[in-house]
Amino acid sequence: MISMIQFSDVTTWIHQLLSSCMAPWLVFLIELVVAAVAAVVALLVCVIIMVYMERKVAGHMQLRHGPNRVGWHGLCQLFADIIKLLLKESFTPTRADKLLFTVAPVLSLCVSLLALAPISWGPGLVLWNTNIGVLFVTAISSMGVIGILMAGWSSNNKYALLGAMRSGAQIVSYELSAGLSIVTIVALAGTLNTGGIIESQANGWWVLKGHLPAIFAFIIYIIASTAECNRAPFDLAEAESELTAGYHTEYSGMQFGIFYLNEYINMGVVAMIASTLFLGGWQPFYLPFDFPLAHAFNDIMALKFMETWPAWISWVSLAWPLVWFFGKLFLIIFFMMWFRWTFPRLRIDQLLKLEWKYLLPLSIVNLVIVALFIVLGLHF
Amino acid sequence: MSASTIIFYILATLVVVFGALTVFSRKIFRAAISLLLSLTFIAGIYFLWNVDFIGALQIIIYVGGIVVLIIFSIFLTHHSGQSLPKAKTGKKLLSGIMAVAGLGFTTWVVSQYVFKPAPGVVPVEPSVHNIGIQMLSYSDYGYVFPFEVINILLLAALVGAIVIAIKKSQDTEE
Amino acid sequence: MKALYNYLKEVAFAFVSLANGLLLTLKYFVTPWKSIITENYPDNRDHPSVADEFAGEVILIHDENNEHKCTACTLCQMACPNNSIQIISKQVETEDGKKKKVLDQWVYHLEMCTFCKQCIDACPQDAIKMINSYELSCFDRSTLTKVLNRPGSKLKEKAKVTPKVQE
Repeated sequence: MISMIQFSDVTTWIHQLLSSCMAPWLVFLIELVVAAVAAVVALLVCVIIMVYMERKVAGHMQLRHGPNRVGWHGLCQLFADIIKLLLKESFTPTRADKLLFTVAPVLSLCVSLLALAPISWGPGLVLWNTNIGVLFVTAISSMGVIGILMAGWSSNNKYALLGAMRSGAQIVSYELSAGLSIVTIVALAGTLNTGGIIESQANGWWVLKGHLPAIFAFIIYIIASTAECNRAPFDLAEAESELTAGYHTEYSGMQFGIFYLNEYINMGVVAMIASTLFLGGWQPFYLPFDFPLAHAFNDIMALKFMETWPAWISWVSLAWPLVWFFGKLFLIIFFMMWFRWTFPRLRIDQLLKLEWKYLLPLSIVNLVIVALFIVLGLHF
Repeated sequence: MSASTIIFYILATLVVVFGALTVFSRKIFRAAISLLLSLTFIAGIYFLWNVDFIGALQIIIYVGGIVVLIIFSIFLTHHSGQSLPKAKTGKKLLSGIMAVAGLGFTTWVVSQYVFKPAPGVVPVEPSVHNIGIQMLSYSDYGYVFPFEVINILLLAALVGAIVIAIKKSQDTEE
Repeated sequence: MKALYNYLKEVAFAFVSLANGLLLTLKYFVTPWKSIITENYPDNRDHPSVADEFAGEVILIHDENNEHKCTACTLCQMACPNNSIQIISKQVETEDGKKKKVLDQWVYHLEMCTFCKQCIDACPQDAIKMINSYELSCFDRSTLTKVLNRPGSKLKEKAKVTPKVQE
């Protein structure tokens, strides 16, 4: 793809355009804001699609239609809901800690958006190209529990408090196995940089070429990250039948809307990390075999045939990595929705047993096996 | 003044302000949240200094680990929503004097120390790869010994926790 | 070793049983035209598919001669838990000079009915049944009080000869 247009060309072009008419510090500031807004808007569009998808998936899996009244096949349902949430009063209970009650949704939204920084959306399309990319996302997701704890405590409501404590216990314990399964892939790829991890999968995704341990790590990561997002079957923090709505029982209007948005942003970030680590991020599918048909397939996947095309058509190739990235993103999100609408909720002791007795020992053994593979040179 | 200096002063002010709030807040949960924010902004300073790894560890260990544990123990206590009683004047005076003395001593030590580039030591690029190699290196300036000592300490703590937990569960069964 | 074997067996069994559930919901998801059972109600008014057993409202069965089977025994009225049935009977004189109680008005308060079907079970004559109509709402509450026997209807005479003999 050498002759083709790269994302770095686009960013360089924007940079030069701005530099020609502005002071460097202003250019820097504008670029920061534009990049952040672009990432957030891209994620929000994903969230809109995810909410619609969740309703349709839930409907079809429960033998229902899902939303089908507002707009074509219910496409405008979400916008109607957003308008409803915006028009509703944001109510604060009398005995609540008002400051923390107001800050909690904003804080948790900020924290989940921070995790977007090191995500690599496409070749050269990354907000913060740092060498600790995946570790940073892990760190930020461990902060996510703070907003929930704040919300639960400041509501001055026992359901909220119980929900927050459950959520805390859950996130703190599931972080371990999520972290260990991330480490598995980091050990295989030899870098923490998201772009580096994706580039290491140019000749096959880790889930395909990483032997059995990578598949195990993938399964463990999906389970643990579902738990970290507080989604069913691990939605104890907001178990409707026992805790009303858990930590956001007392929230209404757009403050509740922010928590709702937050859940989907977290899901999006988790799915981005999973696709980066296991499914090759923006890398197209690659057949790691050595015969002509596989080569031809890989050439088509890498858009080799477009090199001879005129330059203006090759602009299309810019979208190709994004198509793969978002395709994998939504594949993993579909998995998470599939789990949510299939499995019944776990009890709190079953939840902790699953983590400490099954996932954690399995992921430690898995990591040791991967380390053996790497030391013996069995990996690709 | 360059932009990074401005950002440093903003972050430093936030660290100090939230640190002070931690001490002066009469609600224990708010104090814990202030501590959390103070520690987070310290991580911000690390990121500003380009020691990303330390910054991420600061967040994982202090914010995601220790403060969450503190908040949990606050949740488990009664009356966590009520204001703490006001401290006596003598207590206030004593702790004030001790804090000022500590600050003065630290400032004095720092001002006395002559910061100069160490000759012959090649600065290590703080990438994760280098940190990992340094951590397990047993050559000069390698950290394998403290690393292993800390491992043993953590293992002892882990075993201790398990022993306590097992004893309790046997008691309840009997 | 045995413990480890059992542990791994448990894990594998868990995966298999989870996969079963996942496959079922996936089947529902990919074949919505087969699996969706929701009725698109206002859109399918022309051809609704309501189960025959659906308990919509009570009717008094009339045959083609405008005859019903109600003997005004008021068992349904007594069975009704919330007084939504009122049987108004009258005394009439038959040809041979006997006085006889016949049904005058079978009053049905639909607004109070909970569709519990106890009247149907109570009726010894099988004179009433529930039909599967469902568009029962209206703007005027008084229209919900209905008289179920049609004007001019009368009690169906019992066959004098038992039909079993004829067969």
